[in-house]
Amino acid sequence: MRRAYFKNNWIAALVVAPQLLIIFVFFYWPASQAVYWAFTLEQPWGGGNTWIGLDNFRQVLGDPVYWQSVTASIIFALSSTVLAMGMALILALFADRQLKGYKIFRIGLIWPYAIAAPAVGLAFRFVFNPNAGLLSFVNKAMPGLWDPTLNGNQALIMVIVAGSWKLISYNFIFFLAALQSIPRSLVEAGAMDGAGVLRRMRDIQLPLLAPTFFFILVINITDSFTDSFGIIDTLTGGGPARATDLMVYKIYSDGFRGFDYSGAATQSIILMVLVIALTFVQFRYIERRVHYT
Amino acid sequence: MNIKITTLALLATTGMAGAAAAQTSFEYWYGLSGDLGNVVQETCNRFNASQSEYEIVCVGKDGYEAAVQNTIAAFRANQHPTIVQSFDAGTADLMLSGEFYPVQQMMADYDIEIDWSNYFPGISNYYAAATGELFSMPFNSSTPVYYYNEDMLAAAGIEEAPLTWEGFAEALVAIKDSGVDCPYAYAPSTWIDLEQFSMAHNIPVASNDNGYAGLDSELLFNTTQHVQHMENIQSWINDGYAHIRTAQSGLSARDSFVQGECAIFFSSIADHNTVGKIAPEGLNWEVQMIPVYEGFERHNTVVGGASLWVLSGKTEEEYRGAAAYLSFLATPESEEFWASNTGYIPVTQTGYDALIDKGFYDAAPYAGREIAIRSLTYTAPTNLTRGIRLGGFIQIRSEWTNEVGAALAGQKTMQEALDTAVERGNVILDRFARTYAGKTFP
Amino acid sequence: MIERTPILNVATHLILITGLALLLLPVWIAYVAATHDLQTVNSAPVEIWPGDQLWINVQAAWTQADFGPKFVNTFIVSVGVVVGKITIAAITAFGIVFFNHRLRMAIFWLIFITLMLPLEVRIVPTYAVAANALMPFQTILDWTGMTWLIERASGVRVDLQWNMLNSYTGLILPLIATATGTFLYRQFFLTIPDELVEAAKMDGAGPLRFLWQVLIPLSRTNIAALATIMFVYSWNQYLWPLLIITDRANYGLVVVELGNLVPDAMTTGGGVPNWHIAMAATLMVMIPPILVVIFMQRWFVRGLINTDK
Repeated sequence: MRRAYFKNNWIAALVVAPQLLIIFVFFYWPASQAVYWAFTLEQPWGGGNTWIGLDNFRQVLGDPVYWQSVTASIIFALSSTVLAMGMALILALFADRQLKGYKIFRIGLIWPYAIAAPAVGLAFRFVFNPNAGLLSFVNKAMPGLWDPTLNGNQALIMVIVAGSWKLISYNFIFFLAALQSIPRSLVEAGAMDGAGVLRRMRDIQLPLLAPTFFFILVINITDSFTDSFGIIDTLTGGGPARATDLMVYKIYSDGFRGFDYSGAATQSIILMVLVIALTFVQFRYIERRVHYT
Repeated sequence: MNIKITTLALLATTGMAGAAAAQTSFEYWYGLSGDLGNVVQETCNRFNASQSEYEIVCVGKDGYEAAVQNTIAAFRANQHPTIVQSFDAGTADLMLSGEFYPVQQMMADYDIEIDWSNYFPGISNYYAAATGELFSMPFNSSTPVYYYNEDMLAAAGIEEAPLTWEGFAEALVAIKDSGVDCPYAYAPSTWIDLEQFSMAHNIPVASNDNGYAGLDSELLFNTTQHVQHMENIQSWINDGYAHIRTAQSGLSARDSFVQGECAIFFSSIADHNTVGKIAPEGLNWEVQMIPVYEGFERHNTVVGGASLWVLSGKTEEEYRGAAAYLSFLATPESEEFWASNTGYIPVTQTGYDALIDKGFYDAAPYAGREIAIRSLTYTAPTNLTRGIRLGGFIQIRSEWTNEVGAALAGQKTMQEALDTAVERGNVILDRFARTYAGKTFP
Repeated sequence: MIERTPILNVATHLILITGLALLLLPVWIAYVAATHDLQTVNSAPVEIWPGDQLWINVQAAWTQADFGPKFVNTFIVSVGVVVGKITIAAITAFGIVFFNHRLRMAIFWLIFITLMLPLEVRIVPTYAVAANALMPFQTILDWTGMTWLIERASGVRVDLQWNMLNSYTGLILPLIATATGTFLYRQFFLTIPDELVEAAKMDGAGPLRFLWQVLIPLSRTNIAALATIMFVYSWNQYLWPLLIITDRANYGLVVVELGNLVPDAMTTGGGVPNWHIAMAATLMVMIPPILVVIFMQRWFVRGLINTDK
């Protein structure tokens, strides 16, 4: 890949030092304590703990309910990523054509990103609930058709849609920006060669989008594993019957609510390992195909 | 020579009111939010206005769990408040850690007269040691009742709101026959369906007197009348006599009652205030004690809500201030203030009597709340009706909720669900016991 | 474009309009909820058309939550985070892209991993650090015996303290630690052609000159994008400020106040569900980040990845 470098490595050390310092103090130091808890039985109010080695891990990994949670999380992450990226890409490709009203679309599609997660969850509750929300009209036609309080799959769908919502806006920003940086001359040349709009999208614009695409992919997947807590909390509380009890939500329930610090720490480590592995895979196998220059 | 180097302490200081005067300032973190939180703030303002020696700084933490969790985090950094409002299920860890100042002892230490027998036993036992000494100050207490639509019951020919579950079942059928599609708005709740149910029937939730007698407790609710009760509820739902109404499904049980859709719903007496505020004109409603199955003797229900704990590691002045605030809350004026601005009930006999004398409970919007006191004081507490003292109880509640949800969705039978809940709950209890190996509840 | 594709144009418009409607629907619902009174907002089914109580609810929300100082505080914190983040992410990404040392990938991963453990999970120990930000160093000094050594040598006992609770620093610093900005800059810096770097070296410019005079100007749109995102991110912070700020009058932030307005479902006390006021507050809280986004999108949409070098 690269290329030309500067020689002076001391300067490199100097410039990376501030961020490293901050993440050492505010991330690694506290995280290491949490890691320590995973190997003990920690009493919340202090006062001692018992070292139990890998017992916590054995218990967590041997719990079928935990694997349910892992499955649900993976389904959630993949579905919302595909949904969010797909929709954002389509919207960006079409917005890029700069037809009439382009500015309105651009603004309108961007600012949902600015809304705080609890507000999003609350608003979605009004949309989705089967008795009083917008989708209750579906139930008037065929009673019991839409009931995410009893049907786990529907609850998962609801949560996926709500989770993708914000991401669509975020992705749209980046995709549109990347598309707009493709020189017009390239696209026009394609047009003159007889390639239709859709063909141009496929052959010219998409490949040039690759670096952004990769960035968005990584961020979306990571975010949907680690950031989905707020949506679940407002919409389903992990139910029904644990259908939407994603890993990050379970960690919060067990740790923050249930006072089981050790169990939560154990699950956090497992979550982190999973996400790191996924990211590593993406970097190694997908980034290869991305042409940067 | 020892000189301490303290760096950069100038950049940030804790937010305590920089009172230079002799006033002692101390903090109180509470969990109630929304308008209930505002009333708590008012009690703080009233305290500050009533004297000038102490200043209480009250910080709302948006929810019971956040309040306790934030306090734990602060405690570990020695930045914790003097008083924290902790909900019932969150106290086992605190009790076993010993990091608190028992209020009864504190009041005695500072020569503040409090008549501890004045507290309703159904309340004080929840927060007391095996010796009867109170750890924490009861504050916002409630107990469950059921709310019913008078008009709908009358139209179905029901004279008196039923006090037995058999009578209740008949009432549901009658209401349904009279044209109401939703007789009973049901929302699964461990507090009501499991805990309070067991109290009223004097049956155990767990061994060791519901955990009071030791840490090696095991759950028992898959072997008691509770199973039959849940199966009944399930058949009511299947037959259309009850519908599930939860906040997550969009319409909570309370809201569907208030809108006249359903005839009955179960909730804490504290909802009495809310229902009064959001009920439309023309809705005639009343409350009644929760029913008991025939063949069981009715016993007292216990308290829900939260109590105030005084934490260790603070200075004597702060403790004196805390004692002053807590005794301020125990005065009849404060109890009246609290009972009239929220749906909670008074916690002392004298407080209650004072309100009765004033005719407080004679008319709307407060009439009916005395039913809750009746339920709380129906009998003196027995070993099984003191309350629940189990570790990891929040997770246990969550297991129950998940399993019952699975049963109601038709994924398994209710007995299987409760068996699984007990099995997983026992794992939690065992883990808790190992975490606190060698300790016992004080 | 020069062609005429009427069908595709119509399809384009349809797609965009549908997308817009779907995205704006929840916000519309929130707006409608804010325009009704207590009874209406709690009745089913949900209202679709607005009522007339908006101004009343807005006023109630503003006074109840005491939004004035909170808006100012949140603004200060957000600007602080933006400035800090832009600077730090830029120089860090610079350090790992334009130098060829063995630790590059390791450092990148070290930074990147911070995205993978959400704050909810490590919040308790992070609070302990905020209560004394120099504690890690103090502990290191203690463990390595340095404290003892220094004390023996000079009679001075080192006791480092830096309490960040209830302060702007405590609110800002932990938020600067995130990795998104560094990742974004890295992606962008990787697209800088080698020729530019060669040219700079031939001109005798050192790395810092290159950073300041070439990279930063080129990164303008990147900076705009990152600034917007970080502003929104820090404006919407909830969990961390809730924990470390107990002096709400002076340091409270808006979204925390918003959480306070929303009735808590967990209590057996059943507070009155003031959804209309909560939604009115939500609308108000939404406005500054939306304004920032709308204002800034002119710059960064023009090319997050710039090609005209």
